[in-house]
Amino acid sequence: MHSLIQLSIAVLLLPLLSFVILIFFNRRLPRRGDFIGVGILGTTFALSAYIFWTVIVEHYDPAFRVAWDFTWLDFGNVPGVGPLQVKMGIVVDNLTAIMLAMVTLISFLVHLYSTGYMKGDKHYGRFFAYLGIFTFSMLGIVLSDNLFSIYIFWELVGLSSYLLIGFFFEKESAADAQKKAFLANRVGDIGMWLGILILYSQFHTFGYQEIFQKLSAGEFGLSHAWLTAAGILLFMGCVGKSAQFPLHVWLPDAMEGPTPVSALIHAATMVAAGVYFVARIFVLLTPEALHLIAFIGAFTAFMAATIAITQQDIKRVLAYSTVSQLGYMVLGLGVGAYSAALFHLVTHAFFKACLFLGSGAIIHAMHHEQDMRWMGGLRRNMPWTFATFIIATFALAGLPLTSGFMSKDAILAGALGFAQTEGTWYYYLVPVLGFFSALLTAFYMGRQIWLVFFGESRTHLKPSDPHDHHAAHAHDGHDGHDGHDEEHGHHPVHEVAWNMRLPLVVLAALSIFIVYSPDPLDGGKGWFMKMIPTPATVVGGEQHGISEAFMAMSAEEHGTAAAPEAVQAEAAAAEDMHAPAAAHAEAVTEPHPSAASGEHAEGHTFADPRQAEIAHLTHAAHNRAIQISTVMVILGIGFSLTVYAFKVIDPDRTARAIRPLYLMSYNKWYWDEIYQATFIRGSMLIAAMFSWFDRNIIDGMVNGIATLTRKFAFLNGSFDKYAVDGMVNFTAFFVNTSGGVLKKLQTGKVQTYVVMVMLAVFGYFVYYFAQLVS
Amino acid sequence: MEQLTAIGINHYLTISAILFALGLFAVMTRRNAIVILMGVELILNAANINFLAFSKWNGGMEGVMFSLFVIVLAAAEAAVALAIIINIYKIFNTVDVSSVDSMKE
Repeated sequence: MHSLIQLSIAVLLLPLLSFVILIFFNRRLPRRGDFIGVGILGTTFALSAYIFWTVIVEHYDPAFRVAWDFTWLDFGNVPGVGPLQVKMGIVVDNLTAIMLAMVTLISFLVHLYSTGYMKGDKHYGRFFAYLGIFTFSMLGIVLSDNLFSIYIFWELVGLSSYLLIGFFFEKESAADAQKKAFLANRVGDIGMWLGILILYSQFHTFGYQEIFQKLSAGEFGLSHAWLTAAGILLFMGCVGKSAQFPLHVWLPDAMEGPTPVSALIHAATMVAAGVYFVARIFVLLTPEALHLIAFIGAFTAFMAATIAITQQDIKRVLAYSTVSQLGYMVLGLGVGAYSAALFHLVTHAFFKACLFLGSGAIIHAMHHEQDMRWMGGLRRNMPWTFATFIIATFALAGLPLTSGFMSKDAILAGALGFAQTEGTWYYYLVPVLGFFSALLTAFYMGRQIWLVFFGESRTHLKPSDPHDHHAAHAHDGHDGHDGHDEEHGHHPVHEVAWNMRLPLVVLAALSIFIVYSPDPLDGGKGWFMKMIPTPATVVGGEQHGISEAFMAMSAEEHGTAAAPEAVQAEAAAAEDMHAPAAAHAEAVTEPHPSAASGEHAEGHTFADPRQAEIAHLTHAAHNRAIQISTVMVILGIGFSLTVYAFKVIDPDRTARAIRPLYLMSYNKWYWDEIYQATFIRGSMLIAAMFSWFDRNIIDGMVNGIATLTRKFAFLNGSFDKYAVDGMVNFTAFFVNTSGGVLKKLQTGKVQTYVVMVMLAVFGYFVYYFAQLVS
Repeated sequence: MEQLTAIGINHYLTISAILFALGLFAVMTRRNAIVILMGVELILNAANINFLAFSKWNGGMEGVMFSLFVIVLAAAEAAVALAIIINIYKIFNTVDVSSVDSMKE
């Protein structure tokens, strides 16, 4: 076993250990065992950082991959299925190494932060236990080498998300939100499972690598449409987990969970798992499936951004912003900007975690006030939070010199390239929605910054009406923190302690461009995009047969493939197919000389002409994307400043002027209401129908049978009573009567018997002589 | 001698029948168990006479032999019957058969 694999197993299992210790023993440990959670996660992060260092910095090989697996379940030869083996395995490649480092770092920081934020909660220890199992499951997703095990961990993160959203389960809204999250995820997971089954039915394996190899070898026995369907079904898992339209409704409600959880699970890691999963199966997605993914991503990005501009709750703005940014990532994958989407995943994880932890610090300092209308002026009270929040906001809005700028522009450039490749006008909707969302993002973040940090404090403006929704809401939030609040009373807002500041500083630092690329304007020059090259698809478009398509590696990658045995084995397997496919690649890429030269930005060629063209046009569109999006960001921020800082436009008056639009945004496009009216009411209706059917038809049948049986039994009983018993009784009666008659003959006197014998003899003689005579 | 030879088998059988009828009458009508026993003896002797008569007219010795057996049997029977009667007397304190009707039940 490769030493990196051993380390990865340790990384995977340590958080589970933390969970086991804390869930059982937290009450017996000093400080409820929080130091165990933080310590274990610190260790885990150190190991992950070592893996990251080895894989990314030392080897610096875009095709690095080591894998290890074992047979977990062997069902033998299952009738109707064939040999069924379920393997469990771990794969470490560049993407895994980056994700490991990211997940463990954010998890560690959130653990540390939680020691401050959750202080005094009555389930303090349990909180850390839940964080542990979440981290374990998330790392499982990251490390899985096959669809089966990722599905298991997928469900496990769903479970931990459920547990953590409902952490304040005494609150009804939290209990509702956790159920909603779980159910929405279930819908997506069903699709994902069906997708896995479609692939399994064809390839009889769950392993990514085997599936891709068999797919590129043309072993997919069904039509192209089935492969598209499989891709879309697998993407449904992402729709659920990454909160894409139409299953996005759960994520904003998930903000009922504690804020560190929102940062860790519902902003940085778990919701990104969907994107990560789509990236893992990226090469088997057909162009048709990718189109759908691109449109869903674009629509989600736009819709969520429009909702975010009118929300009042600080966390809800960030939640919709998360949905919007996840839409960007999905859009990025859909348009084929694979590296850009994953780049955005990582940068977003850091700056959004920073924003959530910052908002957590604000909420903590404001005694659980979440409504931005009653904040304001916090820059003076909370300078650290303010500074880090500003940096993360710039990254989210996509201002130059930040990580978000690079990743978002890479996605938008990809979207432009995609639209140009596809040609038809409606494909331009994708980049247009993307750019417009960038404007909206800048606007709502400018609004948030201004409302929270600038101006004067508006705490005193808050109506004390107990029926006010937000007041009630905030009050409920106190439940877990009663003692804490008493002690604070009405003291002025002050900066949070070091254990909550440190994560903010680290995360803000990771939102700066220099971490990823030396050139603040081009993420493509950074290490990230080089280490995570877009893999070549293994399926062709409709015009190309599937068998023509070719496995992930270009000639250059082959040359540099480093030592690990897994890579070599793969290379050997792919070797014989390589030559014809490469020839094919050159043939089809001829119309685009720069692409065919194999020396564009990402530095490798694509066998698939569509991918090659997208890559080429994306590269060409890079500068235009930067220009447009910068203009959009400046417009957005400028507009927000006009409205909220210079007060040139009165937001309330504007809202009244465009009331229908305002209400649509404020009420989240009425999706909840629409779902309430259709799916929930529909389910209720169906349930009522079934209940009626149950009560009247099924119960009726059962009762009818019961009545029939009773009637029949009654008849049967009567027959027994009168016919059968009658016969028996008659026999008895007859025997009794005749016995009564006959017993008169038995006098007990011998002489009577003698007389009878004599009579009998006499009778016999009479008979005999009568015979003789006649 | 002539007179004697005039006595044919019918005479024997008639005697025997009368004897049997008398015995039977005694068995059927007497109440005293001993008298009944005597009636039984009469019946047995009627049978003996029949045996002997047929034996004489048939010319074989089987009838004689049989009647000897019957006599022996009658003796044995008398012994057993008397024992039974004594026991009946012990239990019921009477030898009147009409009052010994416990076989009724």
